[in-house]
Amino acid sequence: MCLALPMRITAIDGQLAIIVAEGLEQRASLVLVPDARIGDYVLVHAGYAISVIDEDEADETYALLAELAEAAAWEDSRDRRHETGGTFDRGGSQEDA
Amino acid sequence: MTRPADAVPRSGVAAVQPAALQRLAAGLAVEASAALVRRGSSALTFMEVCGTHTMAIARFGLRDLLPPEVRLVSGPGCPVCVTAMGDLDKAIALARLPEVTLTTFGDLMRVPASRSSLAAERAAGADVRVVYSPRDAVEIAAGESDRQVVFAGIGFETTAPTVAAALLEAQAHGLRNFSVLSMHKTMPPPLEALLDLGETDIGGFVLPGHVSVVTGSACYEFLAREYGVGGVIAGFEAYDVLDALLRLARQTETAIEIEYGRAVRPEGNLVAQRLMAQVFEPRDADWRGLGVITGSGLGLREEYAPFDAERRFDVDAGEPLEPTGCRCGEVLRGVLDPAECALFGARCTPEDPVGACMVSSEGACAARYRFRGIDD
Amino acid sequence: MTEAGKRDEAAGPGAAGATPGGRILLGHGSGGKLYRDLVRDVFVRAFANPLLERLDDAVALVPSGRIAFTTDSHVVQPLIFPGGDIGRLSVAGTVNDLATAAARPLALAAAFIIEEGFAVDELEAICASMAATAAEAGVEIVTGDTKVVERGACDGVYITTTGVGEIVVAHDLGAETVREGDAVVLSGGVGDHAVAVLAARGDFHFSADVRSDCAPLWGLVEAAIEAVRGISPTGSASGSPAAAESASGDSAEALRFLRDPTRGGLTTVLAELAEEAKLGIELEEAAIPVSPAVRSVCDLLGYDPLTLANEGKMVLVVAPEPADAVVAALRAHPLGRDAAQVGVVTAAHPGRVALRTVYGTRRVLDMPVGELLPRIC
Repeated sequence: MCLALPMRITAIDGQLAIIVAEGLEQRASLVLVPDARIGDYVLVHAGYAISVIDEDEADETYALLAELAEAAAWEDSRDRRHETGGTFDRGGSQEDA
Repeated sequence: MTRPADAVPRSGVAAVQPAALQRLAAGLAVEASAALVRRGSSALTFMEVCGTHTMAIARFGLRDLLPPEVRLVSGPGCPVCVTAMGDLDKAIALARLPEVTLTTFGDLMRVPASRSSLAAERAAGADVRVVYSPRDAVEIAAGESDRQVVFAGIGFETTAPTVAAALLEAQAHGLRNFSVLSMHKTMPPPLEALLDLGETDIGGFVLPGHVSVVTGSACYEFLAREYGVGGVIAGFEAYDVLDALLRLARQTETAIEIEYGRAVRPEGNLVAQRLMAQVFEPRDADWRGLGVITGSGLGLREEYAPFDAERRFDVDAGEPLEPTGCRCGEVLRGVLDPAECALFGARCTPEDPVGACMVSSEGACAARYRFRGIDD
Repeated sequence: MTEAGKRDEAAGPGAAGATPGGRILLGHGSGGKLYRDLVRDVFVRAFANPLLERLDDAVALVPSGRIAFTTDSHVVQPLIFPGGDIGRLSVAGTVNDLATAAARPLALAAAFIIEEGFAVDELEAICASMAATAAEAGVEIVTGDTKVVERGACDGVYITTTGVGEIVVAHDLGAETVREGDAVVLSGGVGDHAVAVLAARGDFHFSADVRSDCAPLWGLVEAAIEAVRGISPTGSASGSPAAAESASGDSAEALRFLRDPTRGGLTTVLAELAEEAKLGIELEEAAIPVSPAVRSVCDLLGYDPLTLANEGKMVLVVAPEPADAVVAALRAHPLGRDAAQVGVVTAAHPGRVALRTVYGTRRVLDMPVGELLPRIC
């Protein structure tokens, strides 16, 4: 629960960091994420960074979404081809296994 | 497709999401049908227990994408909604003291207490100030030494560590005019209480993403182990929630999973846990709708007594009054759909709320209100 | 002579304009010499026009055709913010209200309530801003009033502007003319003003790449009206546009409704319209422009950009035929570069506004309740 926004650390001064999201700059305390470094993305809640975003996991999520989107687009075009009975319709061989 | 350097998956990634969402929804439908066969039931009821999830589901219109067999109910995850009347009355009593500057998150301002609200008190002349961070309250205390600054502490494990950190900062600066009214609560206990009540057949929990950033996943294991109910820790984008539901439906053996891997580690945030434990200790807490749950609240430890508003100030909050006809409790337990409450949309609306579930923008009733009337 | 009068005399001659860095005194509002000096040295000097210079109690105007009449009070903190100030706000606000009646601004009045102790050079800066904004809108401030209240009795300065405008269309705009199928057009991105002011107030300690959009919109609305006329059959080419209209039948009738989404934002304008027109509105979330900075601030503090105040945007409801031409005309204007059709009027769910989210799901848009409060939950 609770509103938290991923923001990137651009400067650190002691326990305070300058963090940015698109068009927005703020300060947040890093006292809960002492290992955070400049360039890290952190989740910011109520003026405190509570977690460093795991970039590998973020990449994986993004890739999954892209895959899903492509699959959906393929399905869409397949459905449309079946509807129009166009030249690409090769019958059963194009169905999902 | 590589992730743009600056992009962390969030709602701004609109181009990818709509198509992906349709696919996830289709996947959920498939898994749900299979799950129903496996479980021998006619419907799957999943409960989300996080106000921010309630809000996200409403904002993204996610219910439109759910298959008919999947029912999503809201549980007691809105910290504003579960704050007992008596606690709210205490905050108001403190605000009325002439020497007190009552600082609070915006969420609490309009919540109706027994006889008033913080917004009404401010209009009547009380020094009530909205802050974004507990650090801002400490800053006010540092800058205005003639004021007694009290911070109204609501929130679960996401927020409690930030309040703990702010309190320690106040202590480090030798401030004598800062204190916290702790109304903080912890998340796993009400889940246990809900399951013990056995009012709804909960098929799985969508677990709170940001609470879990702090707590980690182990604290929910008892759900699977002792109650046979699974849980998935979910993020707050539309795809996070749908993915979590899909994973819940897909579980053949109940387990606790992390969908929100980019922010949640199994062990949680150890620094935050330590700070929380340093400043707070578990105590019983009164949950609206669930009554008193043992060890579900956070109180300030004895050594921080000077920063405990309850110990510092002697206030008589009066007898708490529950509004007549308000069924927030049943809504919070997931047994009453907001639309089934007689007051819903009639006597109780966002402009003129009776109970907290309607006034908090992430309360189940307020969120449900947004869906009324638009039918496809 | 009153006590106040004696004190005022002691302050020296020409206390207002002659001493930059001077402060407004209670005597400046009392109607005597100090008052006249203030009016002459600050207001007349800034607004500089023959009508005002007469300093009559009332001004004679010669409007042609129907007139529109409006008033607005402006209280904003801070008085100056990125992209504007209370002066610009007060002029643009009234010009824009007139514009919603399809009225070209003819003349403005400005009444000031000033707190004792207010810096004269700040007042001069505000007036300079008002004059510049009025010039942008092609209108002048021809009369006004000033009162001074005791220190603490107001927040610096409050400005009330009243405006008279000439309506350039023959028909009445309004909710009752809106029909199923009409296009809902928005002249640009939402939320800029509210976020700029919030950042400037400093309560929540953030800085954002946002400036208030505060601007007078008559030129923009005029361009839209011409685009509507361009698609509709016109009558005689001579005489005033209004005369041409009444001669040939109203060629601008396709322009149904205009409103600027100030406090309460886009949602409030459309929710009220749907209620009054007893029709439904379908909005496309993906079509509504929101700047990245506004979106970030909203994500951070839990605000909904659709409910935030704008001071330089217009909502236009037009018949479907000229809709594309209207959008093109708005985009060709400097203040309408991001204009877009964002929705359509429908017979379904009368009285309600439905938003189709970027995910293709739908939800109801309700008017925001109460003051804007940030959330952590």
